[in-house]
Formats: sequence, C-alpha cells, structure tokens
Amino acid sequence: MDELTGYFLYFLSLLTVGGIYAIIALGLNVQWGFAGLFNVGIAGFVAVGAYTYALLTTANSTFHYGGLELPLAVGAFAAMITSGLVAGIVGLICIRLRSDYLAIATIGIAEIIKLILKNETDVTNGPRGINKIPRAWEHLTEERFYTNAPMTWIADATTWQSFFASLPRWWWQPMFALTVLVSLYIIYRALEQARVSPWGRMMTAIREREPAARAAGKNVTNRRIEAFIVGAVIMGFAGALFAQHLRLIDPTNTFDPAKMTFLVWVMLIIGGSGNNRGAMLGGFLIWFIWSASELVINGGIDLFRTFFTTVDVGILRTRAGFLRMLLIGLALQFILQRYPNGILPEARPAASGNPKK
Amino acid sequence: MKKVLVLSVAAMSFAGVASADVKIGNPLALTGPIPDLVAPMALAVDLAEKHINEQGGLFAGGEKFEIVRADSACDPVAAVDAVTKLINVNGVAAILGPVCSGATIAQAESVSIPAGVVTLSVAASSPAISTMESGTDLVFRAAASDAYQGVALADLVIGKGINEIAVSYANDDYNAAIAKVFADSFTEKGGKITANEAHEPNKASYRSEVATLGGTSDNLALFAYYGSGGITILRNSLETGAFTSFIGADGMLAQEVIDQIGAENLTDATFTTSASDTEAKSFSAWKVLADEAGVPASDPFVPNSYDATFMLALAIEKAGSGDRDKIAPALREIANAPGEVILPGEFAKAKKILADGGDIHYAGAAGPQDFDDNGDVAGFFSQSTVVDGEWKAELLK
Repeated sequence: MDELTGYFLYFLSLLTVGGIYAIIALGLNVQWGFAGLFNVGIAGFVAVGAYTYALLTTANSTFHYGGLELPLAVGAFAAMITSGLVAGIVGLICIRLRSDYLAIATIGIAEIIKLILKNETDVTNGPRGINKIPRAWEHLTEERFYTNAPMTWIADATTWQSFFASLPRWWWQPMFALTVLVSLYIIYRALEQARVSPWGRMMTAIREREPAARAAGKNVTNRRIEAFIVGAVIMGFAGALFAQHLRLIDPTNTFDPAKMTFLVWVMLIIGGSGNNRGAMLGGFLIWFIWSASELVINGGIDLFRTFFTTVDVGILRTRAGFLRMLLIGLALQFILQRYPNGILPEARPAASGNPKK
Repeated sequence: MKKVLVLSVAAMSFAGVASADVKIGNPLALTGPIPDLVAPMALAVDLAEKHINEQGGLFAGGEKFEIVRADSACDPVAAVDAVTKLINVNGVAAILGPVCSGATIAQAESVSIPAGVVTLSVAASSPAISTMESGTDLVFRAAASDAYQGVALADLVIGKGINEIAVSYANDDYNAAIAKVFADSFTEKGGKITANEAHEPNKASYRSEVATLGGTSDNLALFAYYGSGGITILRNSLETGAFTSFIGADGMLAQEVIDQIGAENLTDATFTTSASDTEAKSFSAWKVLADEAGVPASDPFVPNSYDATFMLALAIEKAGSGDRDKIAPALREIANAPGEVILPGEFAKAKKILADGGDIHYAGAAGPQDFDDNGDVAGFFSQSTVVDGEWKAELLK
C-alpha cells in the first residue's frame, strides 16, 4: 500500500479514538468541571451506552438478546437515553453525598453495571461480549443494509455492490472520523453555550460555595442531578461511538476502569478541568501519547539494534510494553508538574463579559 | 521538551522506513493479565523468524522475514490500536496473533478484515471465531477451538463411567465458553448436568458456591484459572467434603495446584489441555530445535506460535510476494494436503520444492495444521493426572 495513505489512515484513527475520548472528557467536564461531582464510574456509563447501542443495532444473533437491527441513529439516541436514565436513578439516590462519598458510590455503581453485564448472559452474552457491531458508513457495505430500504430506494443491490467495489477499502474511515469530529464539535458548542449561560454560572456557584447558592434560593440538589444526567448522556453517546469503533465489546477488558475511568480523568485534569477546550485538548493529547508511544519505543529499539548489532533485542521487544507504560507515566508526571491547573485553565464564566478579556 | 519531540519523531520515522523485506505484525498480550504465559510464545515466534532468515530468507533474493512486535494487552482497545499501527504505519503483510479471543475478534472486525489483511492467531480458542466472518476468508488460527476440547472432555467423563456432574466455571470469556461446550456435549451424550453455575474469580472463599453445587453431585467439572480462584474452590470442596472427583481444562494445570492442595488429596482429579502428539515426527523435530534454543517446547501454545510463524513465511514464499491479497489462498495450500511433508525448521527444503513448482504440506509441531473451511485446526488434547506428586500427561486419541 502507498505509504502516505497508511500514515493518513493512522492519523484518522488517532483522530477517531481521540475524538471519542474527548467526548467522554467533555461529559466528565460537565460533572466535575462545572458542578464538582466526583464521578469515578465513567466506565459504567460508557458501557451502558455501548451495550444499548450494540443490542439495538446488531443483526439477529443466537448469542445475545436481539439484535433488533434498528437504524444506527436510533441506537445512538437510545444509548444516550439509557445512560441518562441510569444517571437519573443513581443521582436521585446518591447526589447529596459529599465529593469523596459520591466517588465511592460511583465506583460501586460502575462495578454493579459490570457485574450485571457479565452475569445476564442471556441478554449480553456475558464475558464473551457482543461482536459484529455495525460501524457508521462501513455498515452500508453489509448485505443486510444494501439489500433493504432505505438504500434500495436509491439503487438496487447489485449497483451498490459494484459501487462499493469501485471505492478504496478504507473509504469509510474518513467518513467515520468526520462523524466523530462533527459530533464532538456540536457537543462542544452546546456546552460552551451552557457554560456562559446563567445555568453555567449557577453551576460554578454551587461548586464553589454551596451554602451561598442555596441561600440565593437555588435548588442545589436538582441542579446537581441535572449536571450528572447531562454528563452521563454525553458519555452514553460516546459509548455508542466506542462500540462502533471496536466492533466488539465485553464487560471486563473493554471497560476496564484502569484504562477507561482513569484515563479520562487524566485527560480532563491535564487538559484543564472546567474548560471545554481543555477537556478536548486533553482527550486528543493523552490518546496521541498513549498510542504513538508504541511507535516511538519500537523505533528506538530498531535504532538501538542498528548500532549494537551483536545484542539480542528479543527480550527488549517483549518487555517494551512495560517500558511504554513507564514512559507514559513520566510524560503525565511532567505535564502535571509543568501545568498544575491543566494546560488550558478554567476561564470563569462570570469574567466572560469583562472588558479585560 | 523540543529535544524529546525531535527524538520521538526521528524514532518514529525510523520505524516506518520501507524496504523490500516482508514484515509481519505480531501483536501479543505482552502486558495485561497473562504476560508470563505469553513470554515463551514470543520466544517461539522469534525462533521461527531466526530459522527462516538463516535458511536463506524469502524468495530468490533472500529478503528478510521480519517480525514487528506490538502489545495487544489482552484488551480489545489496545489490540485495535496496535493492529491499526501495524497495518498502516509499519505496512505489515499479515497479522500473527493476538493471544486473547476478545482482542482477536475486535482487531479482525475493526481493522484487519476491512483492510483485507490475513490474521493467523496463535492462541485464540473461542468458538465465536469460527463463525465471525461473512464472505471473507481472512481469519485463521493455529490453536484448536474450545469447541473441540469441550467435546473431548465430555467424552473423557463419559468414558470414566460418570453420568452426572456439577459444573462451576469462572466468569471470564475463556472459561465460560468451554464450560458451555462441555455442558451441551455432555447432555447430548446422555449425561446429566446437575447444576451449572458461574463464579466470580479472585474471591477469598467459595464455600457458599461449593455448598450449593455439592448437594447435587459428587463430581465437579471445574473451569477456572488456578491462580485466580481455582485452588480456593478445590480447597473449599475438599474441606467440606462436597466433591470427591474433579475434572476440568487447561486453567488448572500447574504444579502450584499440587503444592498447595497436596498430591494425596488429588487422587481423583483429571484436567485436559491442548497438547502435541509427542510421538509424532514433527514434534520430535520441534523438540530438538526448541531445546537447542532454550525455548520450553511443551508450554501452552508455544509450538502453535512457532507453527503459525513458520506457516506465514511458507505462505508468503508460495505467494511470491508480500502482497496481502495472495496470502490467504497460499496459506491454505501450504498447510493442507496434498504435498511433500515439511517438518518444523525445514524452511530451506520447502523453499526449494516451491521454487521447483512442487506442493508442500506443513506438519506442525503442535499437530496437523490443516485448516477447515472456517480457518480452524483440529489439534490434539491430553489428560493429566497426579502421579508421584507431579502432573502426568497422557494423549487422548
């Protein structure tokens, strides 16, 4: 294959996954950055969205419930609804808890969600997970889509087949990346609007000095539940995109808290919590480091091998994965030391109208 | 900071340098839950790479056969990312690996099948892999599906004269899959499953699980990893006297089980695992090569890793180039009969036959590697029992 095309496709995949993480980070920013809600159950809410999407859109299967073969957009919309519902129920019960107590409660909830997904094998196929999840744009090339309405309204099946055969194999990749980025942009614009609106200022007030906000007549509990649900809805949507990207989801490895919850928290803190642009920057930056560091390490080992030809690099290649974790840790440490408030610190909404800005 | 960036970019661009050599991407679960199992598999892959290059490399020009290793961490997210890089940045001709079934399915559906790249897994054993493809012929594996091992185990239990058994399995993708195959096959053969329950791994005690199951039968089919709960279940069963005989699969085969439970308590315990026919000529050939290089010849999936690497090299040699489209059909031709039998390590011989236009048929270290329509191989299994304080394996015919 053309080498430049390869680099381009890898860059697209960085944008796709980075974009999905950026959306999750935006969701967390509503909860933590705006309202100060310490949610450590991110993986759970993303998983609810991903599973909802997968069960509704996959082809009928003997392994799990359904799939219901609904349109992809319906699946993504339902993912937002279910994730929001779960957050609503959780919020009603535990939102009054102070920050660290809420953190413990959310860890518990993520664990409960994981155990449900793992043990309700008739619905979710248990630990083996759901595969063959349709991915936006690429799904058009699947037979069950191009032989049915609405695609048959435009052209018949054979025309579609020859049309897809004439495209390069990767034609859907830029389209999918674009879909992720456009969704990210829409969510970002909506949240920016929310941040500078009275609602956003009130959120800051609740976060900074709750008794004062209460004294000013604000219904603090309801507002906090609102923020919790909005954040979870965004995470649920990201879960639907994540399921499309991976095409297989399972409860234990895919939604491992160490890699999902922890990573998203790092993204938000490094990017700058309270700042929507910071959350997005963190999402892309950390994923770029996470993914590209493998190439850097492997390139480094190859370089080493050309200089020291007598040394056997086999063990080095096998242990490179651990070296990479160390490198990522060091990079995070460096960024946090250098930018304690995040790379893009929070700009207070109250100061937005300030002539100095 | 600038220096770091410049160095990184330099190292990255070095990784992408193109050459006439043929590269194979090798994602293995180097980090994650099972690095100790994977390390010897990596050694076997490296050994095959070395043999191929020592015996003249690929094609008439003697191009290098190069393994590019990556970390799939037994995790769909990491596997998809690793394979994306291998295919797009490193420009590999085929994918050798990953280890875990979930990671294998995710990377195949998300990256390698859409890109038209062959995947030859070294250890993924989930039955779901057999049925995952629709219309393409790109996913193969050198390890036998659990569907076969579950059936072999059911035959074994029936053969022992046991007609009713309770099943307890660790709730992870591997053990859940094999337990299901076993239960279905056992019922079909006229046996009775008295209870079939999942248990969460890594609990401190399984007394309540054992008590529930123990009321139904004296025999326990245990599907678990010894390190994450299996030993505790055995101990709890023996303490409460709930079960007297145990059978199970791979996950429980470790010396540690005997050390902790005691050989005298394991008189009626049998566990199966995928095995090589140690009397076969191909295994002896492999054993010599492996011993010479210090690779553990009989460790789980180690011979399979060597076979997979070797077969990919043969397929590329047969195809005449690293062209991605030609590898799948060539892989079937070199692995399946008819043709002259090639043993592990005999790359130069195979190369000569192929150059003369002949047919070859690779006989694997792990057993016959003839692919069926799904790209699966059959494989052999052995049963192990405790003899003189050690596991003693006996091949199931």
